[in-house]
Amino acid sequence: MATMPLKNTMIDNTVEDPRQRAPLVLGNHDFTTVTETICRIPEASRPPQAWYIAFAVSSTLTLMLGCMVVYLISTGVGVWNLNNPVGWGWDITNFVFWVGIGHAGTLISAILFLFRQKWRTSINRFAEAMTIFAVVCAGIFPGIHVGRVWLAYWLAPIPNQMQMWPNFRSPLLWDVFAVSTYATVSLLFWYMGMIPDLATLRDRARTKIRQFAYGLLALGWRGSNRQWLRYERAYLLLAALATPLVLSVHSVVSFDFAVSQLPGWHTTIFPPYFVAGAIFSGFAMVVTLMVPAREFFGLKELVTPRHLENMAKIMLATGCMVGYAYSIEFFTAWYSGNVYERFIFMARAMGPYSWAYWTMVCCNILTPQLFWFKKCRTNPWILFAASIFINIGMWFERFVIIVSSLATDFLPGSWGAYAPSWVEICTFIGSFGLFFTLFLLFVRFLPMMAMAEVKSVMPQALHKQGEHQGLGDYWGDMPRGHEHKPGGHDVHH
Amino acid sequence: MIDLLTYHQTKQPQHWRSLDELADTPEFRRFVDAEFPTLTQSLQSPHSRRQFLQLMGASLGLAGVVGCRWPEQKIAPYSAGIDNRLPGVPVQYATAMDWAGGAVGLLVTSYDGRPIKIEGNPQHPASRGSTLAWQQAAVLGLFDPDRSQSVVERSAGRPYRRSWDDFTAALSPILADNRTRQGQGLVILTEAVSSPTLLEMRSRLIQALPQARWLEYSPVSRDAEREGLRGTFGQPLRAQLHLDQAAVIVSLDDDFLMMHPMSIAYARDFAGRRRVEETTADRPMSRLYVLESMHTVTGAAADHRIALRSQDILPALARMIVQLHINLPAELKSGIEKLATQESPRGLKPELLKHLVDDVLTSKGAALFTAGANQPVIVHALVALVNQALGHVGRTVTYLTDPQPERPSHVDAILQLATLMDAGQVETLVMLGGNPVYDAPAELKLGDLLNKVKISVHLSLYEDETSLCCGWHLPQAHFLESWSDARSWDGTVSIVQPLIEPFFGGRTAAEVVALLLGEQPLKSYELVRRTFGGEQFDETRWEQALHDGVIAGMASPPVTVSGHQASLAETATIFTKAIEQWQAPSSSNFELVFRPDYRVYDGCWANNGWLQEMPDPMTKLVWDNAYLMAPADAQTLGLTNGDMVMISQGDWGLGLPIYVVPGQAAGSITVPLGYGRSAAGKVGNQVGQSGYVLRNLSGMNWRNSVTLTRLNQHRPLVTTQDHHAIRSVIGEQENAQRLGMLVREATLTEYQHHPEFAKHVVHHLPLISLNDEHQYPDHKWGMAIDLNACIGCTACHVACQAENNIPVVGKSEMDRGREMHWIRIDRYFKGEPEAPEVVHQPVTCHHCENAPCEPVCPVAATTHSHEGLNDMVYNRCIGTRYCSNNCPYKVRRFNWFNNAKKLSDLEQLRVNPEVTVRSRGVMEKCTYCVQRINAVKIAAKNDQRPIRDGEITTACAQACPTQAIVFGDLNDPHSAVAKAQARSRAYAMLAELNIKPRTQYLAKIRNPQETDAPRSHEKVEKH
Repeated sequence: MATMPLKNTMIDNTVEDPRQRAPLVLGNHDFTTVTETICRIPEASRPPQAWYIAFAVSSTLTLMLGCMVVYLISTGVGVWNLNNPVGWGWDITNFVFWVGIGHAGTLISAILFLFRQKWRTSINRFAEAMTIFAVVCAGIFPGIHVGRVWLAYWLAPIPNQMQMWPNFRSPLLWDVFAVSTYATVSLLFWYMGMIPDLATLRDRARTKIRQFAYGLLALGWRGSNRQWLRYERAYLLLAALATPLVLSVHSVVSFDFAVSQLPGWHTTIFPPYFVAGAIFSGFAMVVTLMVPAREFFGLKELVTPRHLENMAKIMLATGCMVGYAYSIEFFTAWYSGNVYERFIFMARAMGPYSWAYWTMVCCNILTPQLFWFKKCRTNPWILFAASIFINIGMWFERFVIIVSSLATDFLPGSWGAYAPSWVEICTFIGSFGLFFTLFLLFVRFLPMMAMAEVKSVMPQALHKQGEHQGLGDYWGDMPRGHEHKPGGHDVHH
Repeated sequence: MIDLLTYHQTKQPQHWRSLDELADTPEFRRFVDAEFPTLTQSLQSPHSRRQFLQLMGASLGLAGVVGCRWPEQKIAPYSAGIDNRLPGVPVQYATAMDWAGGAVGLLVTSYDGRPIKIEGNPQHPASRGSTLAWQQAAVLGLFDPDRSQSVVERSAGRPYRRSWDDFTAALSPILADNRTRQGQGLVILTEAVSSPTLLEMRSRLIQALPQARWLEYSPVSRDAEREGLRGTFGQPLRAQLHLDQAAVIVSLDDDFLMMHPMSIAYARDFAGRRRVEETTADRPMSRLYVLESMHTVTGAAADHRIALRSQDILPALARMIVQLHINLPAELKSGIEKLATQESPRGLKPELLKHLVDDVLTSKGAALFTAGANQPVIVHALVALVNQALGHVGRTVTYLTDPQPERPSHVDAILQLATLMDAGQVETLVMLGGNPVYDAPAELKLGDLLNKVKISVHLSLYEDETSLCCGWHLPQAHFLESWSDARSWDGTVSIVQPLIEPFFGGRTAAEVVALLLGEQPLKSYELVRRTFGGEQFDETRWEQALHDGVIAGMASPPVTVSGHQASLAETATIFTKAIEQWQAPSSSNFELVFRPDYRVYDGCWANNGWLQEMPDPMTKLVWDNAYLMAPADAQTLGLTNGDMVMISQGDWGLGLPIYVVPGQAAGSITVPLGYGRSAAGKVGNQVGQSGYVLRNLSGMNWRNSVTLTRLNQHRPLVTTQDHHAIRSVIGEQENAQRLGMLVREATLTEYQHHPEFAKHVVHHLPLISLNDEHQYPDHKWGMAIDLNACIGCTACHVACQAENNIPVVGKSEMDRGREMHWIRIDRYFKGEPEAPEVVHQPVTCHHCENAPCEPVCPVAATTHSHEGLNDMVYNRCIGTRYCSNNCPYKVRRFNWFNNAKKLSDLEQLRVNPEVTVRSRGVMEKCTYCVQRINAVKIAAKNDQRPIRDGEITTACAQACPTQAIVFGDLNDPHSAVAKAQARSRAYAMLAELNIKPRTQYLAKIRNPQETDAPRSHEKVEKH
């Protein structure tokens, strides 16, 4: 197992130098060392002890989630503290929270890909994995929150003896389609992007099992020119397909609220507001996971401060959008003259849930303001702390929207209040357990970074292909760069 | 073939649980006595003991086998038909129920022999087709698995199950002994009796055993009025109010709309004079003045409500008498004048008093004074004098003879009983119903005194607190299981006919008296027929009486009254005493007022889940009682809802949480009675605390100068409105601002000036839809709710619950905001907390034509019918709750758990077979009683005729005493509902959401004095 000696130690690649593109891989890396750095993590015979501890904790929490779900399904949704005015509480809050987190992956893979943001290469695999795991967690909540879970399949448009279609007018049904499509495309995108790297792992495998398993997953990838051609076409197509999904899934999730006529939900601003919030929270979660991971697995040269800074900038931008949405909601409520709308916003700020509202405002509006300062953008631990706050804030955003609107709607006679039961709390904590369990399995067995793609943004990629001088630079055209490469040139170092 | 009998006798038991059992030692006998009281008998005979032990052994051995199979239930068809019965077709029978001292005529729906629903009997004067919540809930009491199921003998504190024959056998030597002594030492105690048959039995008993005593005690009664009228007119009388004749009504602490035996009829009459469209110049809308301490339903309906301490009613009345210039007998005159010149009671504004007096005087005999059951005799006596002096008698009030003129008052009776018991003069005490150990004044310690009685017998529906202190408990037949008769407050007699055989071998009070007398016949049917038999009561008349539910020509005629000199002198002495007892209000001096509860009444309904879960009309409390306190007092003492306080006087004290009620008189604390039962049953045990602990003979209505100690504890109270106190300042402000839009109201003057005011409270853009809207060519069901008629009595809650199989969920679920009622009554207070105005607004599914719930359901489980019903398809529902979230009225109810699983086999018999019992995880809501609509539609189709208006009523509309709810076909312009919705007062709540609700409200019109301070006229926009 080779560890790379860092000869020219970290240069600051966050400095904007107009004369040259900032390097995206630091250290004295060549293709071999990149492969080594990334592959040694899944190839280690035993993961570090910390992995075991983390896995023990997270799998225990997953078990708790399982118990909570079994308890819920065997007893009834009543084990949660939902009530008559507040029909949705932590369940849907958690759903929207996790779906929101699941936004960053596809955004990074697809949109940044189409926009030729080469810095995405170091984080896209990681973020896509996070997306999928977040969507898994998200999918649990609407699945189990229904009263009769065993009939939840009625949501699918399956021909049946009742000759009943689901109600295509219902935003919840759109949700089913949106989220399941998103999950499918994200999974495909993630998996397809991983095929060359899986082939690398297969080729490096030292045991039969690993060879077989990675071989199976690599689908016979040989790195031939033709394969690369097809691969990159498909990748581009999937990216194009995933791009509208990034925007649609959270827009559709927001329709759950916007299409209803409940004050506080019935707002046309929701789709862009939710998408911005989702990107905001998604990036925050990527940072939350990436900062310790790069530290822990020695990936600082691949996930450089510039990567972190770019993510901070996106968080600053989306955080400001979210802040704008918060304020424009108040303006609209006031300007509309709708008494119910006005009250619900007053109640959010000054009513029984004001503590949640102000938590949300502090976390989501004030925290990203730190990112105006370069030090905060580039210091991983400040970023890490800020991202945690943003995660908290974004959870509260969904809580405030869902619960405060439901608790005090039109008729004061039916106003109510809601606080979670222990089952809801444990289920939410358990969903983090599931998320981290999946994540720990991912870092243990799969390449955490897209090796092939990282290599393509390294200077070496440029020098090797004379005919494409100038294309491999920072703003270059990455996929086309591959098309003309001799087959599988860099995979087998 | 093996002779089973010999086999049993020769074989030793194969299984035993202990060596003691095998040896059948006395210790084991005692153990079995304690553990299984009913088994002792069978264990004592060797034959059945062995059988028992073998069975026991077999059950032990087979215990594991039982789990292998579903329990088998056999359903047997009728092999031969029963006359006049079609299976599955419900039949209604007329009967009557004793309630609050008078009978209410009922029609009970029986489904294949099971009574499942109670309605009022339209022909009965005390019902007129409507009911209150209690009548609706009675059917649940019939199927209560906690009812006592056998005769029980208690000796040395241990219960033994016995049979009626055992009881007769045990009693006969004592009775024989009694007979030789002409009944010396025999006392019969009953609850308030209206049954002519039981009264007949009483006279037979007294005839046979002249020395026996027959006493009557109910903890809550209108005896004060009876005595007051005796004081004024020299004979015990009943006052009958004619609210339809009264232009001005002055209620002195009288909750006549809810707590009077004639309440249903009174509410109907009252509401009739409040329907502003039906008033004329000579029959103007009535004006109601209420002076009261607790905020009652009647107070909430008042145009002017004056919150006074209960003891301040007398001085207030004295002032009225003086200002009305009523010529009083000399005995009373000086006292009245003295009272009237005292310091004015707190809360009584002189200008309002003047308005009242002016109103009474200008109405020229069309006014009415009435005093509440909680007011002392003297107030009733004076009210009678006032009514007589102002010429109200015969117009707005008539007086009827009392069916039992010679009976002592209830308080006297219980005191007599206690005295006799204490003196050891009661050898045999037979209590027919009632629960005196629980509800008699605590200072009498009746439970202890029962130890001095040789033979104590208690006939009762439940093995209650009294049964536990008696030697014998006898199971009583529920009124739906018995033949009996009952007399309503106005004297109308009804036959009580059974709907079903007694479940647990219960007997009626008359049967028990017959048993005591050793009389034949013994059966209640024959006893009733003996009363209503003979020549004037032939079979035809009997059949007619059974069919109608009332016996024609038996109502008491009004009596003419005149002042009675001798009794007036007596009244004067009471008066002097009453004046002496009066105490000036002070910040540390509270009066504690005892009131029957709107849900459990005097405690006899404590085990009724429907009533426990019914929100109190005023406080909205469920499953609890509390000290009701004025906001000002709570503020002074620094108390908030749920803070525990101890109220004590002398040796007696009671700790309860307080609940702040706007409109409660300062200086007065109310404790609703009927809680804190210890032997009510699984539902009613340990709910709240018993106010009877503080009640004593001199303070049956209220106690003065009670000491209030703050306990540093908090007990959260559960309400269905203001769950968890969303009492943020902003919420309160919004509530006040929004109220005018939701509950539209005006004064009579405003209405006359601008009859369309309700349509101009909320302005919105034209309500058009982008889509083609539904067309309703056949029927278009709709509802109108008259807020002016609704008094908030909450009968509709329970009626709906009974009709639609709505589960009871219990206190903790209610606390979480999970009540299941399909209809709720939103109660809003307006104005100052000291003198608030109240509105009650029943809210149920509005069956919106553009229903917001429908498009959001992902599985199309809630859809629109071609008649405009918003249908809920339970078996399609997967329970996303999205529909509920999107419902602006929040009337949808979710089954958080499998509520039906809790129903016992007995309770399952009560379930309405026409309505699906919902499983867990599905949403439910008001269906406009679709099963009733369809039943009538099918019948009409079979008869090939159109549906008549009024033929279909919803359960809520049918129960409503004031007919505030009207249901029908909006496509028929002549239907009552179409006419109601066409009225100028009609408005659709939240119409601006373009949801096109089918239910509309008729705005509330108040009728305060015109010279009153101008009531926010500017609020009503004029156009």
